[in-house]
Amino acid sequence: MKFQSYPVAAYLAGKPTKTRIDIMIKKISLFIVLLALISVAAGAAVNTLVLDGSTTVGPLAKTFAAYFTKKYGVRVTVSESGSGNGAKSLINGSCTIATMSRAMKAAEIAAARQKGVNPVATIVALDGLAMVVHPANPVRSLTKAQISSIYRGAITNWREVGGPNTRIVVIQRESNSGTEESFKELVIGKGVPVTGSAETQSSNGSVKSRVSTTLSAIGFLGHGFVDGSVKVIAVNGVLPTVAAVKSGIYPVSRPLYFYTNGQPSGVVKQFVDLPKSAEGKRMITELGFINR
Amino acid sequence: MNIGTRKILDRSFTAVGIGSIIVMAIALMIVVLPIITNGIGAVFFTGTVEHRKMLFSEFKRGDSEGLSSEVASSERYRSKVYDMLTGFETELETMAPEKKVEYKAKYAQVRAALQALLGPLPGDSAPMLTRFKYGQTRWEKSEEKLHDLLYESKWDNSNPDVMSKEYFVSRAIGFQGTSLVKLFPYVKDNLEKMLLPEFTVYWGFITDSSVDSHFFGGIWPEIQGTFFLAVGAMLFAFPLGVVAAVYFTEYARPGFLNSMLRSANSTLAGVPSIVFGMFGLAFFINTLKVSESKSVIAGALTLAIMILPTIIRAAEEAILAVPKTYREASLSLGSTKWNTIATVILPAALPGILTGGVISLGRAAGETAPIIFTAAVSVGSAIGLADVFSSPTPALSWNIYNLASEHEAASQIRHVQYGMVLALVSIVLMLNLSAIVLRARISKKLKG
Repeated sequence: MKFQSYPVAAYLAGKPTKTRIDIMIKKISLFIVLLALISVAAGAAVNTLVLDGSTTVGPLAKTFAAYFTKKYGVRVTVSESGSGNGAKSLINGSCTIATMSRAMKAAEIAAARQKGVNPVATIVALDGLAMVVHPANPVRSLTKAQISSIYRGAITNWREVGGPNTRIVVIQRESNSGTEESFKELVIGKGVPVTGSAETQSSNGSVKSRVSTTLSAIGFLGHGFVDGSVKVIAVNGVLPTVAAVKSGIYPVSRPLYFYTNGQPSGVVKQFVDLPKSAEGKRMITELGFINR
Repeated sequence: MNIGTRKILDRSFTAVGIGSIIVMAIALMIVVLPIITNGIGAVFFTGTVEHRKMLFSEFKRGDSEGLSSEVASSERYRSKVYDMLTGFETELETMAPEKKVEYKAKYAQVRAALQALLGPLPGDSAPMLTRFKYGQTRWEKSEEKLHDLLYESKWDNSNPDVMSKEYFVSRAIGFQGTSLVKLFPYVKDNLEKMLLPEFTVYWGFITDSSVDSHFFGGIWPEIQGTFFLAVGAMLFAFPLGVVAAVYFTEYARPGFLNSMLRSANSTLAGVPSIVFGMFGLAFFINTLKVSESKSVIAGALTLAIMILPTIIRAAEEAILAVPKTYREASLSLGSTKWNTIATVILPAALPGILTGGVISLGRAAGETAPIIFTAAVSVGSAIGLADVFSSPTPALSWNIYNLASEHEAASQIRHVQYGMVLALVSIVLMLNLSAIVLRARISKKLKG
């Protein structure tokens, strides 16, 4: 760096060298004021609903949020960080509604009570957990026992369940996921460990993309995430259709929840009650979830 | 070493050098080209009449007369399709029951494919979700959807020992002998007249909010959120960093404590960003409660802590690079220490300090991990400056991840994702460029 002796020379000559910094500061503060003006014009403060939790409930929460903001002018923000994080946020008081794809555990409820939070559940919709494989996989149906064996690591080859002779790539969700916990509870039993060779994906979307690109993979998805890139297989001979989930014939289904602190009231109640309205029901159906 | 070997070594070194530069350039091209080409596709693309309909009814943009004449001309061709559908529906009623069931399932698929192409068909109830209110808004996507309409994908599992193979069957063959068979060639030949593709420049991608979780609309809330977070982080980190650097270089007495502090600072610069994210959640939100939930302020503070070590280091280096003679000259003239720092050393070190600052600004704009738990949400409207203390915000880095992995229809909105990536890369690039320009200008001024 070639610094010539300008500042010192200027100082000697009695020139106010401070102006260099001063001008910079002036410019920067002008910029900030400008920014403030733009932003204040862009949005006025209103009360906000903060939703945090399940990635499975995500599409529903996001759609409800957009609808709610449009209809009532209340701002709603949605984060999808997993059911476990949703519960934690509610306990810490950092969200208004925790969206969860499983019921709160006793330990979580106890932790909440300790902090003076009283979690109240509202069921939003039902969801059939779809077992998915690559469309090229000829297997069309598995029993619950077979799926359980696959996830426990007792069955490791598709040949054992009537498929081609290839190793099964087992895909599960992370421990924070409500979908993972529902699946464990409904299929392999609480506390039974999943095979160590199972791959963990952190969201429904990434399970889908992994299964759709891996010929020998098996995974599970919230029903709203299923599209043509994966094939849904029947469990005990039943596909997760609306009727089958509603009537409870489909063995791997669970409710999706909104958890609030105390009985919801005011704007929160309006939001939580959306699934009861005709419009809410239509949104649920169009997103591929099932009305209660 | 004789001259021959030395020459060979010299040349081979040159060759390796040039080779590595070429490899680097190719790697950069492979990474950057798809980002640029696909990202530009979010703004410049061939839009259909459905896109113009969407713009008009969701954003009140476009001229209504031109649009209604376009809609009328596309409806002329569409109505024939609708007639064919109603014709087939009446034919379906007259069929034998078992045949009716068979055709009904196939017909439902055709209807679904047509809905994806043209939007809701007559007889459908108006959908709630904006994504189902319009047909294909992008021409290249509608060509894919046309393929879905014309061909059914089937899987050949004749050999049970291997995975099935995909093959396509023309749907028209399945409807042989019914009135619907005419529909397929008709749609294929007249798709352009039904959708009226036209080159579109959609600047709204940058300035609009998203509609129906990024299916339509733009990414303004994300851009604004990124901006707030990065500038906010800078507001905290820059003054603190410069003060700390001045302390380290000018005031701190060399000794054990000082060297410990310095090495702690260097270590902090190497800590993975997710650790700062968890720290931010635990400290700023759960302990200090700077805000009730995630908020821009919590995210900005977390990012500030993350970039602080870099700013301190850059500022320290810049201050140390100021020639000692400046200091001596100033002090010898009777100037105080503080006066020397403020009027001689800091101005001379300013280019270096600013460069460090702006590069950190770029890093703050691009980081995902620190804001996951402290500031970022997947959907939210653009926020005003008054809301930064209470509201979380969408931000480019987090929403790119969200669209890539968590979004329920990620594969359908790849163009949005690429658009976001390009926006983020451009923002960071512009920040870095402005750092270079700023530095050059200040250096020039200092030289007089």
